[in-house]
Amino acid sequence: MIRPGLLLRLVVFTALIAFLAMPDRFAGLLAPLTDNGAPAIYNQGSLVSLTLSHLFTVALATSAATIVAVGLAIFVTRPAGAEFLALSRAAVNIGQTFPPVAVLALSVPAMGFGEGPTRLALFLYGLLPIFENSLVGLSTLPPAVVESASAMGMTGRQRLLKVELPLAMPLIIEGIRLSAVIGLATATIGSTVAAKGLGEVIVAGLQSNNLAFVVQGGVITGILAVLISDGFQILARRTSKRRGASPQASRPATDGQQAPV
Amino acid sequence: MTTLADAATDGAATPRIDRLGVVIAILMAVALALPFVTFRATRIAAGNGLRLFDALPPTAAAAVGAVLIAALVTAVANRRPSLRLALGALALVALALGAGAAGTHLTPADSPYARIAPGSGFWVGLFAGAILMTDAMVRLKLGPVGRLIALAVTVALVAGLLASGAWSHLSLIAEYRSRADVFWREAINHVILAGGSLAAAVVIGLPLGVVAYQLRAIRDPLINVLNIIQTIPSMALFGILIAPLGWVAANVPGAHAIGIRGIGTAPAFLALFLYSLLPMVANTVVGLNGVSRAVVDAARGMGLTVFQRLLQVEMPLALPVVLTGIRIVLVQNIGLATVAALIGGGGFGVFLFQGLGQTATDLILLGALPPVALAFAAAVVLDAAIEISGRGKA
Amino acid sequence: MIDLSHLTKVYGDTAVVDDVNMHVEAGTITVIVGTSGSGKSTLLRMVNRLVEPTKGRILVQGRDVLKMPAYELRRSIGYAIQSHGLFPHWTVARNIATVPMLLGWDRKKVAARVEELMELFQLDHAQFAGRYPHELSGGQQQRVGVARAMAAKPALLLMDEPFGALDPIIRGKAQADLKAIQRRTGTTILLVTHDMDEAIHLGDRIAVMDAGQLKQYAPAADILARPADAFVDDLIGTADRPFHYLTLGTLGSAVEPGEADGAPLAASASLYEGLGALLWSGRKAAPVIGDDGAPLGRVSLSGITDRAAQPR
Ligand SMILES: Nc1ncnc2c1ncn2[C@@H]1O[C@H](COP(=O)(O)OP(=O)(O)OP(=O)(O)O)[C@@H](O)[C@H]1O
Ligand SMILES: [Mg+2]
Repeated sequence: MIRPGLLLRLVVFTALIAFLAMPDRFAGLLAPLTDNGAPAIYNQGSLVSLTLSHLFTVALATSAATIVAVGLAIFVTRPAGAEFLALSRAAVNIGQTFPPVAVLALSVPAMGFGEGPTRLALFLYGLLPIFENSLVGLSTLPPAVVESASAMGMTGRQRLLKVELPLAMPLIIEGIRLSAVIGLATATIGSTVAAKGLGEVIVAGLQSNNLAFVVQGGVITGILAVLISDGFQILARRTSKRRGASPQASRPATDGQQAPV
Repeated sequence: MTTLADAATDGAATPRIDRLGVVIAILMAVALALPFVTFRATRIAAGNGLRLFDALPPTAAAAVGAVLIAALVTAVANRRPSLRLALGALALVALALGAGAAGTHLTPADSPYARIAPGSGFWVGLFAGAILMTDAMVRLKLGPVGRLIALAVTVALVAGLLASGAWSHLSLIAEYRSRADVFWREAINHVILAGGSLAAAVVIGLPLGVVAYQLRAIRDPLINVLNIIQTIPSMALFGILIAPLGWVAANVPGAHAIGIRGIGTAPAFLALFLYSLLPMVANTVVGLNGVSRAVVDAARGMGLTVFQRLLQVEMPLALPVVLTGIRIVLVQNIGLATVAALIGGGGFGVFLFQGLGQTATDLILLGALPPVALAFAAAVVLDAAIEISGRGKA
Repeated sequence: MIDLSHLTKVYGDTAVVDDVNMHVEAGTITVIVGTSGSGKSTLLRMVNRLVEPTKGRILVQGRDVLKMPAYELRRSIGYAIQSHGLFPHWTVARNIATVPMLLGWDRKKVAARVEELMELFQLDHAQFAGRYPHELSGGQQQRVGVARAMAAKPALLLMDEPFGALDPIIRGKAQADLKAIQRRTGTTILLVTHDMDEAIHLGDRIAVMDAGQLKQYAPAADILARPADAFVDDLIGTADRPFHYLTLGTLGSAVEPGEADGAPLAASASLYEGLGALLWSGRKAAPVIGDDGAPLGRVSLSGITDRAAQPR
């Protein structure tokens, strides 16, 4: 049986693909939002290629952030890195009070305009939720389970790969989800520093007073964000279901759990 | 969650050298090697980096250098947190005073257009000093009151620095001076956007959370919808809201008169409010859910009405979690209000996006640093409030 | 099997295990008892080096464990704990297969061993092999935990309060099963508990610990008869001592010639059970029969109670 929520998402996804494939067919829908015969469909570049480069920027930054953040979380939860644990926690807490848009803006003086600062900002900010979640995941494993792994004769590496990482995976995926959602939003703002992406459509609309542009840019990014977030949530639920962890229904929002950008 | 930290501090195996200290020392050394300030002939001309001894008169340079080296040595060689905290703070003060002095020293009397800005060495040094201090504070396990005092001292120092004119030759201040009126206007805009939407979210979100707590049937759908809203990028939501608000402004009598417009503050305010609902509602529900059944039963047994129970027992016990929601909302809104400038909503974002448009680094800083500082201060204050309100309830 | 000499573990400046010397015979069950915090777990965990000793030597089958790589040592020693520590993301079968897989056994051999163990521990293979730990009852989880510890046929099995989380009925059965399995496999078991009943029931020998020191190490009967000091005396409990003592002997040892009325008692039952049966049925004596049902004589109330007195 297909749940209504899933069905709705499938419909929305299909509509998104249809719109990106042949936007002109939808011109009639958006025309009421324009004045004086201004174009209803963004005409300064292909929506498909903007969407793809937007997604590429996010994917690149999020993958890099995942590798580095999970690596760091592993490091500070090993005996060798334990010295850095308390500080890294504090640093993440402080880092998460920085608005992503400020991080983006501040990376412009360091990197110049274009894709560079956007990717740097996405990467830097994306580290935080992944690191925090991985850290929580790796440091709150049931002690009896971790000890059993050692007691069975697993080496440190086997214990990490066979037990600790798989058990922390739902939380790590949740961190990646947050990072991707934040990244998608920050990349939208990245258009103001000349990164190629869907923000361009919104910015163009705001500059030329063309509401149709603003709305189509906003709706595409909004739908992408919701669908990507859902995808990660399904993945996280899959990895945690088997072991009987209760689904994380309505738990409190805490730092970095979910933050619009 | 504390097991590892405890294991690390039980002192069973004290490492020979402080590896974090080594990292800090390396950063400090790098800071000393990099340009301390950059000099530009005009506001947007290419910069020219100057090392510490080129940027300051020899005695001043030696003083700043000595403090930084003392901090470097302390980081590696001394484990006393109080000393590390003091030297971290001293290093930050030395950097700040040094940068100001460099501004005064380097500004040519005949060329008011020359700009002196802190260079990469300054920023790396600031970062190293901040880590040294943070680490020391973590080790000192500063309580909420201690952290509030530390924040107040920091604010006082920065205010004093700005008021004393020590930085008046730095380009950031020059940038501020030339638009002081606008700056304060936008600052107020920013605070109203962030604080006002928070207030609205508390007024609406708290009761909504209580209702969602009582009625299972609406809880999950409501939280799901709010979750989806949270996921939408701010620029997108700002943009999407322009259309309906524009329609309201044009078609609802009186709407225009009370300031509702398609673009401007209204969509920004509405978007921030919508974003704020999830943390408020979810944390109210979770906070109330977390109140122990035995306590609720006891209250019922003593004859408290539903309403009395809520106000006298459940809400006070749920307070720390609700406050956590408020903290999230405030920090998040201070950041998001920056983006509002894109749709004419005002706030510090005005300078930030202007700076980006003009490739003027100082203007970018003028727009980016205040929200960072505000968000940080808000987080410290509310974290302290959460900790104090949670005392004796765990 | 195990030789501990001058074994010491110091945390901060307290020795939580203090100069312990002990020899454990192969093929026996040795139980370590003591109050909470007396260092039992620490002692046990030094044997497979989950805790590194501060001082002293540990020989297992003549090999110095401190000179072996820890992971290799641990693969050769079974380990089961109260909260079982099953891997929640693995099925029952995969959990039991942990050590054989680490040792690189081939797949067929592993599968056969898993099946064999599940049968031994009375877990239906078809029903349980594919389940995840959270889909089992506490008692089943506990059995899987012990099965996993025994999977690679270790000669030595370490158990830390393995039955602590079970209800009294299941615990009694688990103890009996463990004893039966141990007798069949000849595994050497070192087991920690703070339940004196469990210690007397299971232990061939009992080690009593207090504040890190080994107070007495002797067969159960000796501990009951001649407690080394006031602490051991206390731990046994004055009121319970004769009854504990009776659990150690069988009715067969108290048979006297003659006849009695009523339902016969089995010679293999403990004196404690016999006493209970006599008291409850209001008889002064009862007939005793052997395993084959043949009459052996009778036991009398006074014959049993004589055996509850402190031996001299
Ligand atoms: N990692 C550690 N660091 C410091 N002290 C420890 C550590 N592990 C154990 N101890 C201390 O050593 C003492 C003995 O602990 P142990 O776990 O061996 O007791 P136990 O006899 O098993 O108690 P229980 O019956 O409660 O399990 C306790 O006082 C405990 O607090
Ligand atoms: Mg113990």
